[in-house]
Amino acid sequence: MSTAFSSTPHSFWRSLLPGPALGMSVAAVAIALLIGAILVALMGVPVGAAIAAFAEGAWGSPYALSASINRALVLMLVGLGFVLAERANLTNVGGEGQIAVGGIAATAFALWPPVAGLPLGMAFVFPMLGACLAGALWGGIAGVLKVKAGTNEVIATLLLSFIAVWMVYGSVQSEQLLRRPMTTSATLPESLEIPLATQLPLLFGDVSMPLHAGLPIGVVLALVVAVVLGFTVLGLRLRATGLNPRAARRAGMAVDRLTVGVLCAAGALGGLAGACMLQGEQYSLKAGFSSGYGFDGLVVGLLARGSVPGVVAGSLLFGFLRSGGINMEMVASVPTALVVVIQGLIIVILAGAALAIQRMETRR
Amino acid sequence: MRAGTDSTVHGGAAAAGGPAPLLRLEGLGKRFGALQALADVSLELHPGEIHCLLGENGAGKSTLCNLIFGVHSPDAGSMALNGAPYTPHSPSDALALGIAMVHQHFSLVPDMTVVDNMLLGQTRGVLDRRAWAAKLDAMRERFGLALDPHARIQDLSVGERQRVEIVKCLVREPKLLVLDEPTAVLLPEEIEALLAVCQRVAAQGCGVVLVTHKLAEIRLVARRATVLRGGRVVARSKAPAQEIDTLVRAMIQRDLQAPASAATLQRSAAPGPDALSAREMALQADGLTVRDADGVLRLDKFTLMVAPGEIVAVAGVEGNGQSELGAVLSGMLKPTEGRFHIFGEEMTGKSPRTMTAAGCGVVPEDRHALACVTGMNVAENMMLDRLGSFRRRGLLDRQALNRTVRELMQRFDVRAASPDAAFGGLSGGNQQKAVLARELSRDPLRFLLAAQPTRGLDVGAVEAIYGHIRAAAARGVGVLLISSELEELLAVADRIVVLYRGRLMGTCPADPAERARIGAWMAGHEAAAPQHQVTQ
Amino acid sequence: MIEPELVAVFVGSSIRLAAPLLLAATGELVSERAGVLNMSVEGMMLTGAFAGAVGSWASGSPLVGLGFGVLCVLPVAWLQAFLSITLRANQIVTGIGINILVLGATTLGYRALFGSRSRAEIPGLDKWAPPGLADIPVLGEHVFHQTWLLYLAVLLVIGVAWVMRSTSIGLALHAAGTAPQAAANSGIKVRRIRYGAVLFTGFMSALAGCFLSIGDIHTFTEGMTGGAGYLAIAAVIFGNWRLGRTLLACGLFGAATALQFQLPAMGVQVPNALLIMLPYVLALLAVGGLVGRQVAPAALTQPYTGH
Repeated sequence: MSTAFSSTPHSFWRSLLPGPALGMSVAAVAIALLIGAILVALMGVPVGAAIAAFAEGAWGSPYALSASINRALVLMLVGLGFVLAERANLTNVGGEGQIAVGGIAATAFALWPPVAGLPLGMAFVFPMLGACLAGALWGGIAGVLKVKAGTNEVIATLLLSFIAVWMVYGSVQSEQLLRRPMTTSATLPESLEIPLATQLPLLFGDVSMPLHAGLPIGVVLALVVAVVLGFTVLGLRLRATGLNPRAARRAGMAVDRLTVGVLCAAGALGGLAGACMLQGEQYSLKAGFSSGYGFDGLVVGLLARGSVPGVVAGSLLFGFLRSGGINMEMVASVPTALVVVIQGLIIVILAGAALAIQRMETRR
Repeated sequence: MRAGTDSTVHGGAAAAGGPAPLLRLEGLGKRFGALQALADVSLELHPGEIHCLLGENGAGKSTLCNLIFGVHSPDAGSMALNGAPYTPHSPSDALALGIAMVHQHFSLVPDMTVVDNMLLGQTRGVLDRRAWAAKLDAMRERFGLALDPHARIQDLSVGERQRVEIVKCLVREPKLLVLDEPTAVLLPEEIEALLAVCQRVAAQGCGVVLVTHKLAEIRLVARRATVLRGGRVVARSKAPAQEIDTLVRAMIQRDLQAPASAATLQRSAAPGPDALSAREMALQADGLTVRDADGVLRLDKFTLMVAPGEIVAVAGVEGNGQSELGAVLSGMLKPTEGRFHIFGEEMTGKSPRTMTAAGCGVVPEDRHALACVTGMNVAENMMLDRLGSFRRRGLLDRQALNRTVRELMQRFDVRAASPDAAFGGLSGGNQQKAVLARELSRDPLRFLLAAQPTRGLDVGAVEAIYGHIRAAAARGVGVLLISSELEELLAVADRIVVLYRGRLMGTCPADPAERARIGAWMAGHEAAAPQHQVTQ
Repeated sequence: MIEPELVAVFVGSSIRLAAPLLLAATGELVSERAGVLNMSVEGMMLTGAFAGAVGSWASGSPLVGLGFGVLCVLPVAWLQAFLSITLRANQIVTGIGINILVLGATTLGYRALFGSRSRAEIPGLDKWAPPGLADIPVLGEHVFHQTWLLYLAVLLVIGVAWVMRSTSIGLALHAAGTAPQAAANSGIKVRRIRYGAVLFTGFMSALAGCFLSIGDIHTFTEGMTGGAGYLAIAAVIFGNWRLGRTLLACGLFGAATALQFQLPAMGVQVPNALLIMLPYVLALLAVGGLVGRQVAPAALTQPYTGH
């Protein structure tokens, strides 16, 4: 899948301006939300109450807003990884698995006694680095398979995703691994809670506004990815590799290393997302903790069509959708499945309109 | 066989007594984006005749064929088949009405057998392979086209594949057969065979449209000819064999330069290969052998030396190992056996980066596949291998990049709106000039490999490219040219070697007097003296 | 000392668990041979499972449920075809999008119809066995007494194999996925063939989904396909896009899943997670080229820009 995003700075700035792509995205979201509202009405729930509950959960209070942004952060990291790999024409759909292995690594490092005592904030940075490493490894496997065996990375990352999710499940089943000691027969299969020092510190020190340290890190990473893609030689090389790997190879570019490297980078971002979930919100490893964030992040990446601002916007949108949906279920008894339906509609509509968008853009 | 002895009336009404037109095209126009591929094209095709459609590359011949065959729909004008309006929306419509086309890039399914390819789209329900194998035998009787029904397409030679294409068309008993540049990939004797088939087909009442730019073929078989230039009809002829010069003039708007005059351009006084030691050779290839994935021998113990400042040309019809040779010498393919050295340094199996550092420039055969990235802009393509030298404070320095590229574009006359223009928007000639500019501006440059450098280019671009190549040779660069355009090679090269089925058949000076010998080698005859005159 | 009865149960379970994969993978193989990668097999199976369950529950007849299941999947398959073939959208995006959409829609639908009451009892398909084979001592009962849909599946698979090999449709399909331009130039309507292939995948996926809900456990649970659709895609890849090897892959994956229940019964303690992971690991090994060279249809995932 080639991106419509060109590499000159001119087109980068132009992509921030309103255009057909933005218009279509807004229209798709609007249509999907409308259909969602209709479904709510069909379920017999007063639409106004549902919308109120949604808004309340998405941005209605400092707590809700912070929670939405934290969720958006996770999605953004996965989306950034997707967009980075997409530049080299590699489709990384393994976000869910990369989050999972990131979570495993973060928990393992956080629970390792020496780590909690590390000074200067290393106590929480170290597990994050471990998570990045694990994610990079997971992405790298797909990269190596692609380079050595020509394996389609979509299939490889997808399969690795499933494997990783079950690895999480397996790791909290056994006390030899990460399961907390079973004091009673009712002890749930999950890990111990990670020590306070390894949890991501809150930016405002206030539990009612729990934005955590992952946020500035994420923002910095978004800037880095944007600069790399639009303004560096590496970004050009990735683009050449994606558009014509044979010509890139002939021009002396290390195509194989670029391929593995970019998938490692995408995996690392996914692993970091997992660390943020674990160290920033959940504090202990449970089976299925990734709960679809990887796929949502993938969707955010897909819909961004190669642009970093698009990833940011999309992740905020989906972050709000998640939070709002959870509150809708609690307060207005609308199942979260409705939000899933809305998400699916957005994807399908935008995917179908991609051709029309491309035509409109080339005509500009 | 000479064409008929009708009076030479150009265009206008049909001659008295001639057959009624099978297909009449009136005022056809077709536009692709900003390119007006065809404008106001009117034509009449008659049954039982071979009609040659002439024109240089890019004149619109293929587009016209695609319109006739229903691949595209015209933007303007109309078509009439046997008097009734003819508007095909797809090839299947055209096929249903009796119009068949043999394509330039073969349209066969590679991993299916000959019989299966023939069956494709021809039958419904259960396949009767045996009956169709029998039909294939019948074809051999009728037209002289021999084929093994159960061979897979990917195992066949280029000439054999074309035979399958033709048989596929003939099986449908078409009323009109369109052949788009069929002889581009054939040996001289295969060309004769093909033209004989065309004549037998026409003799049985079918109309034949032969798209070509080769004059010898026109002389042999054309009953009528139409010349396209820039998407328009510029000349017609009812006795093409007699009016060749007029037709040629119409095609290129000037007389074809006799090869001798092209040779007035100076050639560098290169030292003969015997004068130098191996270490001083620009290229020393020893026994290069390539076997493909199925074990078929593509290049057979190729041994050659190129001295600095010498231009050596590898001639031969495409498909005889040239692609494999080019791939090995550009670092993209590791030979099964054999080695080669550039100025004494071994380069076999080394990465493109190492080769570039050693001063090797490559203009590959298929620039879109290997030399350029169509989605990027001109500047990025022209500096593709040295992007890293345009860094400032860690970021890409676009201004420096564009500055360097602008100079280069001027020197090599690469015409584009700006260095930021999309590379894919450049004409073929300018793209090739850009690639050449990149390779020739390399520092150091000691050896240049140019494979089919002028394919698909107009005369002006061809001259410019050879000018630059000659200039490079004059500077001491060793040049190896691989091309199937023998006339060009005779004008530009110092020495010519010929490849046939992967083997080096012989070497001789690039002198027009050697044409017959070269032709014999190209056809696979080892004898030094020519057995028969080969048409060029 | 392994008792024959355990072996029989294992074989029977393997077959039972492989059956939906068999159906879905055969359908997906047809699509992929024609050049369309259907990531939405998962969604199509889930739709079939849900619609089949609802139809069976509402009408009291599992056959009606089966028919309703197939009927409801066809629009989903048509959507996938329309998006990937006519609108030339990215086939992976549309597949995943449809999967998400279907997951949400079926969950909503289930809650709406059954409330939070899970495991409503639904009339299911009967079992059947070929005459004679069921009477084989020890083996017969476990191995051959299966939902009759399985035997239908076997017939369908044989039918597909024959069509692919010996009819003009099979030839056209092959050409559309390997060299679509060549196919078009021979008069094949590439888009139409691809549409047909995707609809066929929908049909087979519907049967696969119905096998799960009304064939096997006689109920519907949210997201019950649980990744089986992706396993089917993995099976096609493992099978190198050939029907025989794909079926082998399905059998292998079914056996791997059956081991989850079998090994504990035999007293062997293997972490459950490992067994659940096994099919995916096997597929990954295949995809990584460790089980031979993979040759995908040349035009797979590439939208056809002609007629």
